Amino acid sequence: MDSRSPSIACIGVIGRSNNPLHISLFPATGPGYEAERDRLEFSFMLNTCLDIFEARLPSKGLTHDFGLLHALDERIAMYGWMTNTGVKFVIVIDIEGTVAEGGRITAGMGLRNSDLTPAFQALQHAYIKLLRNPFYEPDDHDPKLTKGPTGSLQIASPNFIREVERIGKAWYPGIRSDEMLK
Amino acid sequence: MSKLSPSLDTDDAQNPKANAAALDFLLIELVPLAQRITEQVQAREKVLMEEYRRSKIFTNNTASSSSSDKTTSTSATDGADVASPPSAAKDTKAEVTSIGFPIVDEQAREGMFWRLDSLGYRVGQGLVERFSANKPRPQTPLDCIKFVCKDLWQLVFRKQIDNLKTNHRGIFVLTDQRFQALSRMSVDKRAGPKALEEALSRAQLSLYFPCGVIRGALAGLGITASVTAESTELPTATFQIKTKGANA
Repeated sequence: MDSRSPSIACIGVIGRSNNPLHISLFPATGPGYEAERDRLEFSFMLNTCLDIFEARLPSKGLTHDFGLLHALDERIAMYGWMTNTGVKFVIVIDIEGTVAEGGRITAGMGLRNSDLTPAFQALQHAYIKLLRNPFYEPDDHDPKLTKGPTGSLQIASPNFIREVERIGKAWYPGIRSDEMLK
Repeated sequence: MSKLSPSLDTDDAQNPKANAAALDFLLIELVPLAQRITEQVQAREKVLMEEYRRSKIFTNNTASSSSSDKTTSTSATDGADVASPPSAAKDTKAEVTSIGFPIVDEQAREGMFWRLDSLGYRVGQGLVERFSANKPRPQTPLDCIKFVCKDLWQLVFRKQIDNLKTNHRGIFVLTDQRFQALSRMSVDKRAGPKALEEALSRAQLSLYFPCGVIRGALAGLGITASVTAESTELPTATFQIKTKGANA
């Protein structure tokens, strides 16, 4: 069997009122691993993270990094990040997500929290960029504040979605921050 | 976590690439801009309403032509009533004060304040997202207000708030002794007390946008608040922040 390396399985962006803003899925690659990720299943996984955010909030006073939230099984683990404005980013890692390329960390070696930091920083950067778009109204994406007809509250900006897709595909354990941001 | 990323350095707050005067001009120009937009929107609404009414009269007339004389006479008087207000409204327009500020009616003023405040609100939300990224999470409402006073004010108005007072029950009063947006305003000393009044009422117009910025920034940090501002002496500005659930 080929040796496997960790990859991002899912990126979830969650709003202040715990509403999903955006969910991107990234199927595992390599022979025998091509099964599609189930959107509903990952939506449930993201839901399980919300209580952990809330429980850890008092002790995580100063940092945005919430580290490992919990590990679901041998393969799937969830890492969290929360901005000062209450927007949460969750990255679901599949330990055996991709074929290990030369020199990269393999599944057996495990991950450090700091391995995810570049990805989270890139996500936060993407979100800040989204807020700079004058046509994006943050209040229209919050169920408590929206005034218009309540349709989908998810982010529709193609630039943001493209950037999240790029981050999910580009990340590998040990990537540097400047590499993450192109 | 010292820097967010190297690529963000290009738009670093300490390394601005835009001319600082541009922001000053923008802040000054915002008020007339909001006024023009509000007037245009209202004018368009008026035209639409007019069209709608006319179409209603038209259908009334065609319907009543087949019915009794009584209904036709009432619809005719309706038509006369509708026709008079727009001409009256046109007369009041284009009046201008001594300093070239057009006089606006109450409804337009309200719309203008609302527009300025909501513009500021959106700007505040964006600013707080961008510039609180490297900051520790504020724990208490006071921390959030301090962020506004120290960091945000420095960014937008190039100085910190001079004085912060609070009753520790949700009301904060921020005083800026030399408020950027008012620093270029002056009072005509020869014209007496009436000029001061007029200058202050003009200054008041430039305070709605900063109010919105504060409100948006606090909303971003999770505090619902109402913000009012006043100026009793140029160029000092006082902002009162009343957080939701505050008891005076």
